Amino acid sequence: MNWQWRWAALKNGFQDATAYRIEFFFEVFGSAVTPAIIQIMLWYALFQVGGASQVAGLSYNELIHYTLVSTLFTQVRGGNNDFELSEMIRSGALSNYLLRPVGVVEFTYIRGVAPKIFIAGLCLVVGIALSFFLGLNPTRILGAMGLAMVGNIIHYQLGAILATAAFHWEEAYSVLMVKNMLVAFLSGELIPLTFFPEKWAWIWKSTPFYLYVFGPTQYALGKWTDAEFFHQVLLSGLWLIGFSILVRVSWALSIRRYQSLGG
Amino acid sequence: MNSPNSHLVSNEPIISVRDVKRVFRSIKKAEGLKGSLQLLYKPQYSEHQALKGFSFDIKAGEFVGLIGANGAGKTTLLKILAGLIPPSSGTATVLGEKPFDRSLSFRKKIALVMGQKAQLWWDLPAVDAFDLLRAIYAIDQTVYRERLNTLAKLLDVTRLLNTQIRRLSLGERMKMELIGAILHWPSIIFLDEPTIGLDVLAAHNLREFLRTFNERERATIILTSHNMDDIEQLCPRILIIRNGELIYDGDPKTLTNRGQCVLKVRLMEKPTNEELAAVCSLNLSQISRPNGGKVPGADLPEGTTDGAAHVEKDDDDEFSEMAAAQELIYFNIERTQVAHILQPLLAKYRLIDMGIDEQTLESVIQRIYEQSPQTAVGASS
Ligand SMILES: Nc1ncnc2c1ncn2[C@@H]1O[C@H](COP(=O)(O)OP(=O)(O)O)[C@@H](O)[C@H]1O
Ligand SMILES: [Mg+2]
Repeated sequence: MNWQWRWAALKNGFQDATAYRIEFFFEVFGSAVTPAIIQIMLWYALFQVGGASQVAGLSYNELIHYTLVSTLFTQVRGGNNDFELSEMIRSGALSNYLLRPVGVVEFTYIRGVAPKIFIAGLCLVVGIALSFFLGLNPTRILGAMGLAMVGNIIHYQLGAILATAAFHWEEAYSVLMVKNMLVAFLSGELIPLTFFPEKWAWIWKSTPFYLYVFGPTQYALGKWTDAEFFHQVLLSGLWLIGFSILVRVSWALSIRRYQSLGG
Repeated sequence: MNSPNSHLVSNEPIISVRDVKRVFRSIKKAEGLKGSLQLLYKPQYSEHQALKGFSFDIKAGEFVGLIGANGAGKTTLLKILAGLIPPSSGTATVLGEKPFDRSLSFRKKIALVMGQKAQLWWDLPAVDAFDLLRAIYAIDQTVYRERLNTLAKLLDVTRLLNTQIRRLSLGERMKMELIGAILHWPSIIFLDEPTIGLDVLAAHNLREFLRTFNERERATIILTSHNMDDIEQLCPRILIIRNGELIYDGDPKTLTNRGQCVLKVRLMEKPTNEELAAVCSLNLSQISRPNGGKVPGADLPEGTTDGAAHVEKDDDDEFSEMAAAQELIYFNIERTQVAHILQPLLAKYRLIDMGIDEQTLESVIQRIYEQSPQTAVGASS
């Protein structure tokens, strides 16, 4: 394992993401605050205006806590590195990376994830501060953030697999968009997945998406035992391994169709 | 290894190409909305054969120029040799490997520079990109400093290293791209129109650098360029590609044969080549008519050029109309023969106009392009 280039790529990606500092912070701030406000308004409407006392077994306070804590992990999930891959395949920019002695899929991820790691650090600090107000265990926040980061990798791996559609159809944009919509719904960032009726719970349980936001939030809020958490960490490890094999296979199968346009 | 042995090894071809063909298949879209709809339910494919069977060898340390009109297949060939795309059939071997396998050691030893393609990150200054490349290739810090210094000084961009790439001019950016492409001191460099956008001095400096790099590091360099100065000054060997076919492989000097020139004439009469050969006492092979004589001679004086035959002109006296309609005749002769040929020619025929073309590489190449019009390019359904 050569750590030198990985570290350099991380540094480079961070410099690139923060080249326009003001914009960077506005983006982070805006993407955190807007969905949180929408959710809190929704809970307010249900409970204070609508007069409900519980929704899917959760009280008003519990839902507010869910929103506050899950917002931290929502910041960490995702990224558009998979869109970037697809665009590079379409435009031929991939050629610049294919000839460098690094794996293009990994390289793109490491460069792209740099600002996310920074954001994860920020969210961790905020989360630990928050844990004192909400009476949560700070070490659980730390573990939950770790799981969220693993979720970030899984999310990219799936994106990288789907992006190979661009080798065949020139575009993978719509495929990736559909995936992102599913993720928004099934990761638990819009609503707690406990809102799902019991007989449909298998839907979210059979994807890795709940590991991005819902899982970390459950652990941070103390809804998962440590044993349950380690079980989920193990599961995420299996997703990680399975997807990394699929990434290799899908790229090896598709790269022959690469057109390398331009030049 | 003993020195005689290493000499032997270096005589082995470092690049070996055998009957390489490449076909591109693309979806054909008819015009307008109807075409878009048709694309959905019945996509039509068109195939284009970009390379039609190439074979050649290149030895370590050679400097080879690749010449061809737009769309001839130069970039396609470089992409195959660099390992970006596989050949449709045939085999290419570079550094003893199949380029398309792109093994780690292979990638560390080659570089591909594309003039029209940005490789660096636009929002960062060049030094940041170079530093990342240093880490990627695990280049020693002191060696890296030295190389960067040399390259930046040579291309005169030292003061721009800390400027965001997006703020640089086209030529300055090109220079940065070049530095980024060769920082790892590759043993094979593929250059696709590297002097595009460079000023005269920078192009000169780049040529000097490539020459030195080729000589001192024994790097193998393949270069495509439309600038014949690049080719003439650097390449003892050229490959000429026309419509995906390799039509010349050899020394450019053989093509430009010093002392040779082309006498171009247009006559009122219409003598056959045989008659002309007899009158001027030349070999039949020395007389030619470009493209059956139908192409207007681009090098002749104004008034008779640019398809004047089809254009209504203001001063449409009979003579110029007639002149434009006449065939252009090329005499491939020695410079010293010009007078000997003109005398009998003028005695027997009425001359409309004439011109002499020096045998520059440029003119030779131009004539080669003219010999087969590019109308054949396109779909071969
Ligand atoms: N991906 C592609 N799909 C279809 N046609 C292509 C593709 N790439 C190149 N071609 C065609 O192949 C021919 C050779 O292209 P290229 O090698 O780029 O020419 P050049 O000699 O100008 O570098 C051109 O006619 C070009 O239009
Ligand atoms: Mg080209």
